[in-house]
Amino acid sequence: MFIFDTLSLVFVALILLGSLPNLIYSTGYLPHIERKGYYQLHYFAFIASMLGVVVSANALVFLFFWEIMSLSSWKLILTEVEGKSTIKAARFYFLMTHFGFIFLLLFFLIVSDGNLQLGFNAMHLVASKFAYPGLLFFFLLLGLLSKAGAVPLHVWLPYAHPAAPSPASALMSGVMLKVALYGMLRFLFDILYPWPLEWGTTILIIGSLTSLIGILYAMGEHDIKALLANSSIENIGIILIAFAMGMIFDTLKLPYLSTFSFMAALFHIFNHMGFKSLLFMGAGSVLHQTHTKNIEKFGGLISSMPLTAFVFLFAAMSITALPPTNGFLSEWMIFQSMLDSSHIANDMALKISIPFAVFALAMTSGLAIATFVKAFGITFLGLHRSTNAKHATEVNFLMKAGMVLSALYIASLMLFAPFYLHFFDDVFVSLGRSSIYAKLFPDGILQIHSLGVHGGIVSPLILFGSLVLITGLMLLAYKVFDVKERFYHTWACGYRTAPHTQYTSTGFSGIMRRFFSWLYKPQEHIVKETLAGHETKFSDASYTVHVKPLFEVSLYENTKRVTNIISYWVYRLGHFEQTRYPAMIFNLLLFVLFSYRIFTDDVSLQMIILESAMMIISIKILIIGEKK
Amino acid sequence: MILYLLTIVLLILIAPILLSYIKATKMVLFFKRPVPLLQGYRNFSKLFSKETIISEETSAITRYAPFLVLSPLLVTMFFLPPIVGGAYYVSFVDAFTITGLISLSTFFLMLLGLDSASAFGGMGSSRESFISALVEPAMILTIFSVSLMADNLGIGQAGVNLAEHFPKEHMASYLFAGISFFILLMAENGRIPVDNTETHLELTMVHEAMILDLTGVYLAIIETASSIKFVIFASLFASLFMPFGLDFIAPIAFVIFVLKLFFVATLVAVFEVNTAKLRIFKIPNLLGLAIVFAFLSLITFYVLGD
Repeated sequence: MFIFDTLSLVFVALILLGSLPNLIYSTGYLPHIERKGYYQLHYFAFIASMLGVVVSANALVFLFFWEIMSLSSWKLILTEVEGKSTIKAARFYFLMTHFGFIFLLLFFLIVSDGNLQLGFNAMHLVASKFAYPGLLFFFLLLGLLSKAGAVPLHVWLPYAHPAAPSPASALMSGVMLKVALYGMLRFLFDILYPWPLEWGTTILIIGSLTSLIGILYAMGEHDIKALLANSSIENIGIILIAFAMGMIFDTLKLPYLSTFSFMAALFHIFNHMGFKSLLFMGAGSVLHQTHTKNIEKFGGLISSMPLTAFVFLFAAMSITALPPTNGFLSEWMIFQSMLDSSHIANDMALKISIPFAVFALAMTSGLAIATFVKAFGITFLGLHRSTNAKHATEVNFLMKAGMVLSALYIASLMLFAPFYLHFFDDVFVSLGRSSIYAKLFPDGILQIHSLGVHGGIVSPLILFGSLVLITGLMLLAYKVFDVKERFYHTWACGYRTAPHTQYTSTGFSGIMRRFFSWLYKPQEHIVKETLAGHETKFSDASYTVHVKPLFEVSLYENTKRVTNIISYWVYRLGHFEQTRYPAMIFNLLLFVLFSYRIFTDDVSLQMIILESAMMIISIKILIIGEKK
Repeated sequence: MILYLLTIVLLILIAPILLSYIKATKMVLFFKRPVPLLQGYRNFSKLFSKETIISEETSAITRYAPFLVLSPLLVTMFFLPPIVGGAYYVSFVDAFTITGLISLSTFFLMLLGLDSASAFGGMGSSRESFISALVEPAMILTIFSVSLMADNLGIGQAGVNLAEHFPKEHMASYLFAGISFFILLMAENGRIPVDNTETHLELTMVHEAMILDLTGVYLAIIETASSIKFVIFASLFASLFMPFGLDFIAPIAFVIFVLKLFFVATLVAVFEVNTAKLRIFKIPNLLGLAIVFAFLSLITFYVLGD
């Protein structure tokens, strides 16, 4: 019923490491929440169910905890209902999470051969006998990646995650997404091994698209929590890229490189859990004090909330993969594993196409810097942009403690990277790979080696030490020279510096929005009070821009429209022509029987043609009938 | 080890001279009277003796960011390829770390721009973030290609390998990577098609807009950082794309390397004189060119085989 192997235990550690600071933060956040009992019940159920998912040993238990996890997080979103948008977000989340659940259920129904209490290892036999492993793989992708938020199943995420109270959003973005990735690791290794090359490349394409699209929408966002949620999508993409490289190397019989890439993915999972939890907590503190999520209403918070600002900056540096932070280390490992694709022999097409994924990842990290400069700079620097921001003060002790603990966890990932990597190595040893720890650290734990021939080397401690040393020496010199200082206002072309003379968040991302306008398709509204009929002179102007995700418009709204049309026809059939009920049931039965044959026996083209002809004839005669 | 430290000191000392040299060359080409080569030092000492005015609207970021802009670049100086054969060099640091350190410096520069609460700072940061996001992929792809040709990802080792075994059989990809790297050199250092460091017209500013509110020592630090950034890129270009002259005795090798740096500076000056500054929305075309050349370099390398 439960399994406690290394993979499960590492994920248990992940969840506990994520929940502990969160718990302290959540206790401090509690006075802000009206329905305390409701919130706490679902909060603890949520953590417990996530633990349940990663230790469950058979399909029934897994699906049970999976569903509890979905439902409790759905209830958490509904803790603070502010208008219709929260309810809409919760409904969207409910729909998408069950969309994924259906595919997971289908997957398990096939691989467990009817016995849902079968252990995961025993399912491997059933799966290997199944005629269409590709179908199983796609069920798994749809089921798990709709939870993890990969393109194109990511649209719900920027609505759902920000709607929950901040500690819960931190858990959802930081930890719950990783539980879906645990599913990928567990089922791909235990049930669906060995993988064809196409699976790896499919995930590589999904990962590259996810990372780029996630960060581009994060850039255009001006709701701080939605920005962070979009950046979670990006990081899931990065993890999927590393995961895909592992699968590709495994198929091509390069076991060490494969383990290296999987370790990079697992390292990034741990990193992302740390900094995204911290960023959501920081955003939650700001939200707690200013009572708004709109980034345009913040500004200058670094003077009133110094600790929050500092930890937010630290997490932002880590998520943008700046050396020597932990985010840099895992992204370095991912880049190394992609560069090792030059060792691939005799598959030119693959070799040439991997640089495109390198391009996507590099572009993502460049855009991430822009996004988090915006997120930190507009929120914490400059002057207060609203009265709400002016009255903000530092948060209470428990919330500070939660954030500091989380920051310490991130720092430990940076300083004790070899220690964590050792655990990740154990995971893959337990999954039947040979250990690569000795190859990662051949000359002491100071330097992490890449596994390719003449690969790169990085040493976080030396980098950190030298940066601190040089900066410290310069600061000391500044003190010693005793520079004369004078304070005066910022120069604003002779005018007075005021909050409205600063650059706004919309302005900051303006260049990007214009350059990527084919993707954003921004809806702009300008209202101007012109003076005396002059086009260019105006006393008052307001400019608002709204970006609706392209995927939502093209994929989801159109699906909605088509579903509406179909359901209208079904409704008509059901309500006006009841005489045709038996005929419909008969045809449905026929359809199920014929489809079942396809899964059990070998299929021949003649049979399919014959059966579809029978179906068409019976539908024509029995349901559609004669035209009146 | 002495040669290693000497190289770093030499590069730091030569950095302001190189920027003054570019300016002087441009002025000669415009039939103006050139500035002296030591103008960079004069500016530095002048700024250093002035009092530092700190804006009342700023926060602790302005206090620390200038140092954090400079220190990653100084750390990078220790990781450059050797300029004399047999000298000590840090072989283990790879190119991602170097691009990461440069990004770290840019990150704090952008925060500095947003900290002063002026519209110019935000404008500069916004533009810089756009440019650096587009530079990143081209940079990494170029490095990927160069490291394949040098058969090592470590940047110091790659410089040595290229000097020992010049990749004659991969001349095409080598050339493409060189073109791409040169475009990146222009873009990252704010040279003319992308940004004009000599202007103070706010419509065209990128780098200057971010530091508009700094004076005194802080400005001196940022100016030093931009000259050191140029010398890093110039010496990477010199070591990776002009890999010769390492096997002479130390003084001659030093002279050859300095000549190479001045050659790169002349190239930049001539390029700057002959082009106009691009609009911000045209810059992606230029950087796109760099990305395409980097891809071409990789693909020709793979197609022609090892």
